[in-house]
Amino acid sequence: MSLVSGPGRAGGSLSRPDLCTLKHVAYIQKLDTRKDELEYWLTEHLRLNGVYWGLTALHLLGHPDALPRQETIDFVLSCQHDNGGFGAAPGHDPHMLYTVSAVQVLVMIDAAHELEKGSRGGKEKVGSFIANLQDRETGAFMGDEWGETDTRFLYGALNALSLLGLLDLVDVPKAVAYVQSCENLDGAYGVRPGAESHSGQVFTCVAALAIAGRLDLVNKDRLGAWLCERQVDQGGLNGRPEKVEDACYSWWVGSSLAMIDRLHWIDGNKLAAFILKCQDPEAGGFADRPGNMVDVYHTHFAIAGLSLLKYAGLQEVDPI
Amino acid sequence: MASHGVPRSNQTEKSQEARQQELQKIEKYQDLGRQVHQKVSDHEYTADTLKLLGDLLESNPEYYTIWNYRRRVLQHQLSQTDAPQAKLLGKDLQFLIPLLSKFPKCYWIWNYRLWLLDEARRLLPLPEARKTWEGELVLVSMFLSKDRRNFHAWGYRQLVFDTLKQLAEAEETRTSMTQKEFEYSDKKIRENLSNFSAWHYRTKIIQRLLDEQSASDAERKKMLDDELDFIHQALIDPRDQSLWFYHQNLMCVFDPSVAERTMAPNLSVSDRVQYLRNEVEFIEEMLDGDEDCKYIYQALIDCTVLVSKVTGTRSDSDRDQILSWLSELKKLDPLRKGRWVDFERSLS
Repeated sequence: MSLVSGPGRAGGSLSRPDLCTLKHVAYIQKLDTRKDELEYWLTEHLRLNGVYWGLTALHLLGHPDALPRQETIDFVLSCQHDNGGFGAAPGHDPHMLYTVSAVQVLVMIDAAHELEKGSRGGKEKVGSFIANLQDRETGAFMGDEWGETDTRFLYGALNALSLLGLLDLVDVPKAVAYVQSCENLDGAYGVRPGAESHSGQVFTCVAALAIAGRLDLVNKDRLGAWLCERQVDQGGLNGRPEKVEDACYSWWVGSSLAMIDRLHWIDGNKLAAFILKCQDPEAGGFADRPGNMVDVYHTHFAIAGLSLLKYAGLQEVDPI
Repeated sequence: MASHGVPRSNQTEKSQEARQQELQKIEKYQDLGRQVHQKVSDHEYTADTLKLLGDLLESNPEYYTIWNYRRRVLQHQLSQTDAPQAKLLGKDLQFLIPLLSKFPKCYWIWNYRLWLLDEARRLLPLPEARKTWEGELVLVSMFLSKDRRNFHAWGYRQLVFDTLKQLAEAEETRTSMTQKEFEYSDKKIRENLSNFSAWHYRTKIIQRLLDEQSASDAERKKMLDDELDFIHQALIDPRDQSLWFYHQNLMCVFDPSVAERTMAPNLSVSDRVQYLRNEVEFIEEMLDGDEDCKYIYQALIDCTVLVSKVTGTRSDSDRDQILSWLSELKKLDPLRKGRWVDFERSLS
């Protein structure tokens, strides 16, 4: 999957645009044919994430078979290393971020059993790669052997392990305690203890607690208040106070609100209208804001945001 | 990665010449990648390889695997007998500066830099390691003057500060370091009151400062009073969300459910109520001329709700006040109507 931005740009001028489903399907299908663009190669480090984003968007758009299944499986498996972890593309080092995408893709297309074939070591091997990245003292997770710690990795680990049915490989209560230590007095969460609250990190922390069955630990009114203040007058959502809106926060903020039963604290119609203005009605794809270049990352999160808002014609997404 | 904030370009067809040039660039980039993979798989951990890795990273700093290769090469060089460790590490730290300036939001570069600094801490004599880490505070200040909200830079500052404290020799030095960080947050806030990152940093630094000084309850109360004065002055612009979030943070001091996590955890019930009543009075005055500012009503409601949380009862007059502010809020804040309807229901 190519992460090349464009070729289109978000319309922005249409008064009440509809979702151009077929254009988006075609846009995603064409992504892997753009090998004559330098950006295709410069974004190779996101290839496996790109497959996940593109495929999820297609599933939500109701076109789950729009990418060739066997080729997808072959590509995912070609990214696996002997230690069970996955890299972004063949020859790239194993890392939590891509291992999670690999598991998500295989489960989504009902192909997790492929891990059991040959000498891959089965899903347990993948599970052990993930479990070995947990710091057993703090409960936090690292991205890879070099030690970067971030609540993104903690969520990814719990997400992938729960999809594989292997949550018992890690210390879930310790992970939960770590998430709590990242909570600020505004009820939101940061990337590490003490770090400023950020919508992306709120999603990872709340979703991790949801997977662990500990949403009771969230201060829902306080967090909900912080999250709903992310909506700006134009209808879009931002990531932090006094920042500009961006279509991808439709997901990070929207799904967090949904998980704590407060999605109705923002104006869904206005948000949907903003998201739709970010699409390119001719060449397909979504951008961060109206008028900017489209890419598959924003395409995925914009469509997921619309699905969360129960936009007509889309499959319903699970906020976690 | 994803194109954040990249304006659309003119979608004209590329000329034949432009296509050729792009294909040549791809060829060159792939060729460099192949050379690098070969050298690393042959364990050619030389200065020459380091140079090639640098070239590749300059054209694509997001290529995380290449940063890992660089770590392996450097680890090898650092482990040689009589290796000029300080020089090797210093040179690599220098190599990163133009890259960080060009790509200040690239996780992998910040992350690699921290790895280098940890190596410095592990391998160099303490005074030298400390000096290396001290340089980072200067560097990160530079990045924060270019982009005052850079999330990576603020997180980095926090990590650098934590490490410097561990590397400091005397208790006294540690406290004066925290004092300096407090002053830094002050400076950043005064440069731009809207900088919520700086306000957030301030909340964390204040806690540390008071803890390190083993501050008494009276000293904590003094800090609270100073902060309330500070935010009251800042609130001259009542439409800035950052200021209200800091105000809300201070109000947590009076909230029995979270007070223990705040700067003054041991205030008496009557103190808490008095502070809250004073706030309501102050904020109500702000309405004069800014009757259409929703944040003012929100703060009035929050403070009054807190009073009943502290005392355990709610008077009819407080309840009526809350309802009248709420009716304004519902008019002024249609985006969050759902929230206000829920709140109204919780009152009955």
